[in-house]
Amino acid sequence: MGRKALAFAFLGAVAVAVAGRAEAADRTGPAQRQAGLAAEYGLAKESQFYFVLDVPGRKLDLRVRGMVLKSWPLRDMRFWGDPGFAGTVALAKKTTLKSPERIVLRPGEAKEAGPAPAPAKPVAKGAAPNPAEYELEALELKDMPKAFGLDFDNGLHVSVKARDAAAQGLSKRLRGALRWYVGLPLRNLFGTKEGKALSELELVFESGQDAQAIYWHFFDGIRGIILP
Amino acid sequence: MIKRLLIAAAALVWLGGLVVVGTAYLVGLKQASAWPPEPAAQPAEEKNAAKAERAVQQLEKRMAGLLPRGTYIVIDTAANRLFLKEGAKVVREAVVSCGSGVVLEEPGGKKRTWVFDTPRGEFAVKSKITNPYWVKPDWAFIEEGETVPKAMEDRIEAGTLGDYALGFGQGYFIHGTLYTRLLGRNVTHGCVRVGDEDLKAVFKAVPVGAKIYIY
Repeated sequence: MGRKALAFAFLGAVAVAVAGRAEAADRTGPAQRQAGLAAEYGLAKESQFYFVLDVPGRKLDLRVRGMVLKSWPLRDMRFWGDPGFAGTVALAKKTTLKSPERIVLRPGEAKEAGPAPAPAKPVAKGAAPNPAEYELEALELKDMPKAFGLDFDNGLHVSVKARDAAAQGLSKRLRGALRWYVGLPLRNLFGTKEGKALSELELVFESGQDAQAIYWHFFDGIRGIILP
Repeated sequence: MIKRLLIAAAALVWLGGLVVVGTAYLVGLKQASAWPPEPAAQPAEEKNAAKAERAVQQLEKRMAGLLPRGTYIVIDTAANRLFLKEGAKVVREAVVSCGSGVVLEEPGGKKRTWVFDTPRGEFAVKSKITNPYWVKPDWAFIEEGETVPKAMEDRIEAGTLGDYALGFGQGYFIHGTLYTRLLGRNVTHGCVRVGDEDLKAVFKAVPVGAKIYIY
């Protein structure tokens, strides 16, 4: 009997604590939403595109005028450093090992640039060629990198990766682990070269195309909100 | 003896390194565990919560007021897709061709440069034209290695732009194409090429002044 009473008392206490916490969250919800909406309204009243990194919702949106143009769900994310980076930010620059390069046409040297659009592979007689297979003189989504960095004006560095790109060879994974578990903690402890506090966020998306589309749509200077 | 000393020194350095890395890791872990931050533990006062709720409703109303009214066009230049929308509803989706991103450099004295990107941003339909003629700009001749003509009539070409064209400023148009097999690819000089049926539907649906969002 004594044990049962003790168990009920314990369960009751847990239930009260959980309810209290839920109520607290409910009550603080509007204040957080108000702050988020106020920040977004500031961006949405201008005609520029902006992004919203919704950490609790685990998604990255591209928006204009409050309308979601494109949404990329986050498969995974992790973080090192100073967590005080939420709020309104602007993209200072994109960094990647190999930036996509534009094709330059100089009519006098046109012969070097190659002929007009033609199928990349021989097509069976009678079969319609697949437009996706044409070799074109163009900069397209498929030319964008699948892994890159975004440096924001508040010092936050965001690494963007795709799940399929993240599952690389052993050496790349080892290098990545060494950077994440040794390099970044040391830089965080001793400070960055610029003397700023380190803030490193890694976002992993489902497919390479998601990462490529983010590279395509995120232009230098784009502003956005990070919702904590 | 020296060998032992060296081994001891190496062990000391190794241990020291391990301690530094371990400390750095633990310090970082403590910082990182504070992210994402939990909602404040102290419940806000009822009065403040109600006030915030009212403010949220007002902001949501203001945000809704920013949304485009009527029928409008959204174009994804990466996916080469055009969406005809009414409110949040997609009325029609079309495969299109957007700018190739190619740079054209003029040889010779003037050395002008053109970048064949579809402009991104918020635009509006400025003109609606049936059976449009293409007034070929300088780059169209330079790209082909031809001399730029002086007479206007030498620049006019019929049939290239399809049956309809929607102008959205600075010489950019949403228009038809002869190269329908290239729809879905980035091949244009900045305009947006649309297939015949889709172009007809878009042309009929949007009035002059309708918003165009290109991203």
